[in-house]
Amino acid sequence: MKLKVASKILDANDRIAQDNRRIFSDAGVFVINLMSSPGAGKTSLLEKTIAGLKKSLDIGVIEGDITGTDDAERINRLGVPVVQINTGGACHLDANMINVVLPDLPLDELDLLVIENVGNLVCPAEFKVGEDVKIMILSIAEGHDKPLKYPLMFQESTALIINKIDLRPFLDVDVDKIRKDALSLNPSIKIFELSCKTGEGVDQWIAWLQTLNS
Amino acid sequence: MHEVSVADSLLKIAVDECRRSGYARINNVRVSIGKASGVMPEALLFAFDALKADTIASGAALTIEEVPVAGHCSACNSDFTTDESFVLCCPMCGSSSYSIHAGRELDIKDMEVD
Repeated sequence: MKLKVASKILDANDRIAQDNRRIFSDAGVFVINLMSSPGAGKTSLLEKTIAGLKKSLDIGVIEGDITGTDDAERINRLGVPVVQINTGGACHLDANMINVVLPDLPLDELDLLVIENVGNLVCPAEFKVGEDVKIMILSIAEGHDKPLKYPLMFQESTALIINKIDLRPFLDVDVDKIRKDALSLNPSIKIFELSCKTGEGVDQWIAWLQTLNS
Repeated sequence: MHEVSVADSLLKIAVDECRRSGYARINNVRVSIGKASGVMPEALLFAFDALKADTIASGAALTIEEVPVAGHCSACNSDFTTDESFVLCCPMCGSSSYSIHAGRELDIKDMEVD
């Protein structure tokens, strides 16, 4: 006997992601899924972004790490609501991990929620968590070959932040190649070059973020 | 990708669907896997065979149909399919004004049950 099924295999995750999406939209909060390799500067970018936007927007953060609370403590010091998820080994956040911590955040009071994914250039791009947009960071120290080696994340992201541009004099990295390859994979990707250390370029990123949220 | 989670998820859907329809055994499950889905067919087969033991799908075969990446280019107005997993430009004219509409599938199509 042949049975028609016609179902998406990751439907369970996608359904929870849709539930999260509905909760976010009812609360009027815009949600960013922030992804990068370990050490590219996700938490540093968050610190800069919160400092630049705190007066005009109410921001909340979900921190995803395999273990530890260092990142949540860094965000907590800035006086914004933050929840730490420890995945205990999992290399990405999924929709259910986000769903269970939502009651711990004052969603109705927030304009913007940033979900900082586990540092990993592969798996986070494959699981929806209920975000409005995915945004990724690549630090120039990682090398210009990364877009073509890890194409999915570049294809899935609305914006690419090229971080640590203050290191340019010390590296043999071709930033134009990063731009060109990212645009080949995703012609509509918005690209920002900045340094979380010196603050160069951060204003343009924050200005764009405000247009996204309005 | 996460072939074990994908195999686990597909087994759960197949077993639920089989029971719900009043059948006792799954003989075959047919899935379509896009070439840009990030799932390796061999790894999915391996994970499926490891996880199906002690379920009503313990004797089931997994049939994988690979779906090529396909898209449309608005510069040369052509539809294309490619053997590549990732597209960097339109394979017909080289333009970057393309959009992809197939190749990320992870779907269960149907199954044979008793």
